[in-house]
Amino acid sequence: MSALPDIPVLQTERLTLRAPAERDFQAWVDFYARGDTRYVGGPIHRNVVWRTLAAYLGHWAMRGYGMWAVEERATGTFCGNVGLWFPEGWPEAEIGWTLLDRAVGRGIAFEAAAAAREHAYGALGWDTVISLIDPANARSIRLAERLGATLDGHVTHAQYGRMAVYRHPGPTAAGARADATGVQA
Amino acid sequence: MNKFPTLATERLTMRPPEARDLWAYTAFYTDSEAARWKGGVLRRDQVWRRLAEDIGHWHLKQFGVWMLVRRDDGQVVGGTGLWHPEGWPRHELTWWLLPHSRGTGLALEASQAIVSFAVNSLGWPSVETHIQDDNLPAHRLARRLGGEVIARERFPDDIERDVYRLAPTDAMPVGTADGGVSQGPGVGQPPALGQGPGEGQDEGHGQGQGQGQGQGQGTGEPA
Repeated sequence: MSALPDIPVLQTERLTLRAPAERDFQAWVDFYARGDTRYVGGPIHRNVVWRTLAAYLGHWAMRGYGMWAVEERATGTFCGNVGLWFPEGWPEAEIGWTLLDRAVGRGIAFEAAAAAREHAYGALGWDTVISLIDPANARSIRLAERLGATLDGHVTHAQYGRMAVYRHPGPTAAGARADATGVQA
Repeated sequence: MNKFPTLATERLTMRPPEARDLWAYTAFYTDSEAARWKGGVLRRDQVWRRLAEDIGHWHLKQFGVWMLVRRDDGQVVGGTGLWHPEGWPRHELTWWLLPHSRGTGLALEASQAIVSFAVNSLGWPSVETHIQDDNLPAHRLARRLGGEVIARERFPDDIERDVYRLAPTDAMPVGTADGGVSQGPGVGQPPALGQGPGEGQDEGHGQGQGQGQGQGQGTGEPA
């Protein structure tokens, strides 16, 4: 018998971070067909969206951490995926985020990313983490900077091209920052 | 915590893929000849993603590809399983073997166990597979599994393939002394797993999981 990955559930003030699931699929299909996805590899065909969802789950099994599905606690509304991502070809583990249009501009990505970072530094014991961002993705760069991350060079990926490396503050500094924003992981 | 099934045959233990199988995936998918029927050679990052997708397929579908582990030495020799990603019109039995394990009858042995599992445990009426015209070893294996061609279709990648229906359990082929295939007794007995008829026949390459569907092209990466 082989085990499913054991995916922890995180709670923040407004959000639940849970395992990705098939019920998230259609929202992503719609997003990648119509949304503003130029910085996250879009547009993407539904068949590839399905494989991405499968890869999220496989990543959890292979690494022991991965991308969560983010829901609003009050309504159960699916907001997007945020989590810890380290596939082959990445220079090191990152905090990643891809938010649906309806979740943008409300601090949801910030709240979820802070919870993911606290999990990385707390439960997983990491001492550093980055975020890889398309250098033209100004909104995502602003989010990284709000999280306290700073530009730490660039890398070139075989598929995604040149990406900016934003390095997050270490466990102590990040903890103080999360406390100040009321994140409860 | 949920569990996925492990299968056993005379010579194989079959378990769902895990992170430690990356080397076998890499050996297969970075070899141009081996990967010919699987959409071509992959980069290392694409191989990793393919493995992640195959693991995730189990979570989303509750079935998938098993790793074939030789019982005598614990070596992974390939993968065989049931595959049905979004957008593909039919499920399929799919298989691949590392070069050193071709011609050993292991793909046949594994396939028989999986057809039996699909019918007896998943409750499927039968198992299908579809094969490109020039993948002759795969056609031979499908016929040795008792397969009959039930359709010829153009698939989403614009390639026409024969669609085989593989015999359900009560008509599983059993090996005969001359290595041929005959119909089973048809009385609902379990298949003669691990009989491995026809040692030394060439099973050839893995066959067709979604050629040209852009596997490993997946994006939607975060940040």
